[in-house]
Amino acid sequence: MPLRDTRGRMLFAAVILAAPTMASAQFGDGYGPPLVPEPPPMEFESSEAHYRYLLEKANGGTKHTIETVPRWDGLWQTAGNTVMSNFVDAPGFTGKVREGVLTPEYEAAYKERWREQTELGQVQYDRLSHCEPQGYPRFLLEPYTHEFINLPHQVYQINDFANSIRRIYIDQEHKNIFGTHSWYGDTIGFWDGDKLITHTVDLLPADFTRWAPMTSNQFESVEIWELKKYPGGIERLEVQVTFYDKYAFVKPIHAVYAFRRATALEEAGYRVQHWECELTSNVYLEADGSTNMRLPGEEGFKDARGTTMFPHLPGQSRDPIYNTTLPTDRRDNDE
Amino acid sequence: MSKRRLLHAAAVCALLAAAQASAHHSFTHFDRDTELVKTGTVVRWAFNNPHAYLYVNVEENGEVTLWSLEASSPTTLIERGITGSTFEPGDTVTFMFCPLRDGRPGGAIGWARLEDGTFVNPSEAGCWLREETLERWKVWLERGFKSNLEAQAAE
Repeated sequence: MPLRDTRGRMLFAAVILAAPTMASAQFGDGYGPPLVPEPPPMEFESSEAHYRYLLEKANGGTKHTIETVPRWDGLWQTAGNTVMSNFVDAPGFTGKVREGVLTPEYEAAYKERWREQTELGQVQYDRLSHCEPQGYPRFLLEPYTHEFINLPHQVYQINDFANSIRRIYIDQEHKNIFGTHSWYGDTIGFWDGDKLITHTVDLLPADFTRWAPMTSNQFESVEIWELKKYPGGIERLEVQVTFYDKYAFVKPIHAVYAFRRATALEEAGYRVQHWECELTSNVYLEADGSTNMRLPGEEGFKDARGTTMFPHLPGQSRDPIYNTTLPTDRRDNDE
Repeated sequence: MSKRRLLHAAAVCALLAAAQASAHHSFTHFDRDTELVKTGTVVRWAFNNPHAYLYVNVEENGEVTLWSLEASSPTTLIERGITGSTFEPGDTVTFMFCPLRDGRPGGAIGWARLEDGTFVNPSEAGCWLREETLERWKVWLERGFKSNLEAQAAE
């Protein structure tokens, strides 16, 4: 018999309704001092040139050992970013698209996306609805939780949104033996003291998020990751990023992203679990380009807590604690 | 964790929980101008990513209909004190939601009132719950309203 968390219910009830609930375009901003973008000191011809400049400036980088490599263990959540200020001239969903930042084709496409957001209240459809991976650069701002595992030879960056993992190969060169690009591309990096500098190439087309511009298959980035501490015990993992995209941007753009420790989740006993989209998302694209969702019993409904392909066998429910069932046919419910 | 620490953590995280709107899909299918209230029996609380879902059987005019209500993501809900056992099968729950535009029995949940009278906030961008919205609803519930449009027309 499952335990009822009555104490938790009562204790939290007093505060949950005071929680800010307005939609944020930036995901979790407002934690710590304002984020300040620090663009590179000069314009570089390419992300490669930018990365090589930083590597040379760091005299080839710091060679950390397992004892000295900076540790960013634990759970993290997004804590704001400045990327939208590159594309829109006012905060929130009130501004206009800045002209001349994107190339004409990408600007026209983005203006339509922004029109949907501002005039219709929502971009009509999100590519993640049909289970495309978030990819990069969206990885940097998706909510849910992030984990950062730093080893001397490799860094693993994990987002539990569909459990994506980004790998950063330290003190190595780019490789691509697949003959195509991928959702997280190929990332190399080096340490400059406690700062992690990365270079990402070979990405698939994606976007910054639903209400931000699309990116092309020539999108690349140079990142500088640093854990910063502020008065009041605030710890923030900040990422200064320069984005390059010869198809989408007139010039490279710069933004800063941030992450804060997910202390409340950790104290609540949260542990990251594997989840994917195919069995858990019932949102789909309508013929008119809008979004809708399937209900239990409707054709195509995916029951994340239903049974496996072998329901005649004992123990095949994906809801083993409560053992609930939903209608398999809409008519069951209507009759 | 001690009771005091738990409460402190809840207060802090409530303030930090600033709108982790899950970016997985658009919310165009919900009529966010309409808020309806129903009472029913919990069939399932699917505390799953990317969105939790509350399934409730509601009896009206002698007919039972299964209502499917989308909530926020587990990470956001945990920060508001909502867990996988906040709703359990068989519980009676009263809930406010923004319905699907096409009239099928579904929507995005705004608030829920548990059997002990506690209000919880499982909402997300499909039916954002603001503090003032809940306070307004407490008054409307006392007056017997089950639709914001009806309540506003009567005021």
